[in-house]
Amino acid sequence: MTGRAVANEFAKMRRLRVAPVIAVLVLGVTALSCLTTFTYPGFADMAQDPARRPWSLLLASLGLAVPLLSPVLLAVVASRQVDIEHQGGGWLLARTSGLSPGRLCRAKLAATGSLVVAATLLQSLLVAVAGVLAGIMAPFPAALWLGSTALVTVVNLALLAFHLILAARVPNQLVGIGAGVMGVFVVLAATEMPAWLARLVPPWGYYALANPAEVGTDGAAPGEPAALSVVLLGAAACAVFLAATARLDRQEA
Amino acid sequence: MSTIITTHSLTKSYGDRTVVDGLDLRVPEGCVYGFVGPNGAGKSTTMKMLLSLVRPTRGEVRVMGRRMDRSTRRELLGSIGSLIETPPAYAHLTGAENMRLVQRLLRLGDGRVDRAVRTVRLQDHLDKRVRAYSLGMKQRLGIAMALAREPRLLVLDEPANGLDPAGIDEMRHLIKRLADDGITVMVSSHLLDEVDRTATVLGILGGGRLLFQGTRDELFSRSVPDVLIDTSEPERAAAATEPWGGTLDEGTVRVPGLDHPATAEVVARLVDARVDVYGVRREDRSLEDVFMDLTRGRGL
Repeated sequence: MTGRAVANEFAKMRRLRVAPVIAVLVLGVTALSCLTTFTYPGFADMAQDPARRPWSLLLASLGLAVPLLSPVLLAVVASRQVDIEHQGGGWLLARTSGLSPGRLCRAKLAATGSLVVAATLLQSLLVAVAGVLAGIMAPFPAALWLGSTALVTVVNLALLAFHLILAARVPNQLVGIGAGVMGVFVVLAATEMPAWLARLVPPWGYYALANPAEVGTDGAAPGEPAALSVVLLGAAACAVFLAATARLDRQEA
Repeated sequence: MSTIITTHSLTKSYGDRTVVDGLDLRVPEGCVYGFVGPNGAGKSTTMKMLLSLVRPTRGEVRVMGRRMDRSTRRELLGSIGSLIETPPAYAHLTGAENMRLVQRLLRLGDGRVDRAVRTVRLQDHLDKRVRAYSLGMKQRLGIAMALAREPRLLVLDEPANGLDPAGIDEMRHLIKRLADDGITVMVSSHLLDEVDRTATVLGILGGGRLLFQGTRDELFSRSVPDVLIDTSEPERAAAATEPWGGTLDEGTVRVPGLDHPATAEVVARLVDARVDVYGVRREDRSLEDVFMDLTRGRGL
């Protein structure tokens, strides 16, 4: 039944404008990353000089653009996909069809999560392609790029799971969107926080931990993403999501 | 006749507030069971317990001979269609798209969906978005979703709520048609008149308790209408019948709760008192009056 429930979630997306929201996320992140990088003073020279790490600059810009746009747009996606259940009596319809609310939420995460994974991969790919087209001559740091993309994907999924549960528990969707807007401020603050402090504000603070480079006055300063922390966030998010959805299953109609 | 729903001492409490109190329901298979009671009587909570959407505090539910609980719910719900609270539908999708969701989830064939849609006569409106549907059309779509699984039992919670008179009439005809097709329909309402025209068995709920269960005729037979006595001297007659609770009501003496021997006794008393008795009759009572007596706690 889970596969059929996931297929239904894709069918419900029709006319919900989930696809345009995802497109805005992909194009917005790509545009913001490129704009930040390509307008950086002396970028044209930097692109020709591998020693000045032009790819790190682009990756750092990507690492800044993702958390600026993702918190709000993921909140919107989760809200749109869950609000229809509150508005249309979908929870009860699913229950009487043998699909519990928790399983319905898990199907929603599978459906919207697959789009978010695709969007995260696509925006990462588009920014890399833009770097090549912009004439960066340095060798492409594939491992670092892929690793960073994987970590951002984990943080995005954790955030999406959080918003899905929030939207399911609180019918007023302004709360979820408000949490998304607040998340942007947390992300901005987290970029200036030491890693130990950023770990204390999951999931938003983990965008800063997943970022392998920082934009400085003289190009990008390469760094090590806190991969272990992000992996632990992913594991914790899984556990919390499963527990929260199991709790939804136990709730009475 | 076999029963399709049986409950034993079904009780639901929230804290120290008991909303359903020791219900022993018997819903015969193939009937239209009218589940009637004022708002807040516990009808919806009972129906949710029947579908295992709410856990009983005490007691048990048996549906189609099997205990209904979390472990059997999924299997049993495959044979039960239901419409609880508001009609379910995704407003941004068309009627057809909504039906396809149910079809996919329950792995139903096209034929079942077509039959369900035709039964509720919605086939000409399936391409409209549900947002543009009237309440009556939404109700019919909700019933079509419930019927698509070709259930043996259909549980409808206040299906006529908010409908205009034409919609209510259409709903009545639909329920009758479904019953003619052999589906047991349990339908709740706070209006007796609404279910009286379709129900073959009535269950009357008041304050969370089952006040009556049986046919319409049984309800009337158990009801004792007031005795009205026309006499030459109403004031003296009222005084003479005071021990039986007699009162004066617009020139007629009204005596409540008299069975046949007691009625004879009262008449004899009036004759002894030399009051001319012109007529003795039972008050005409509608089903609504009986219902009101029951739900106001006066009993039968």
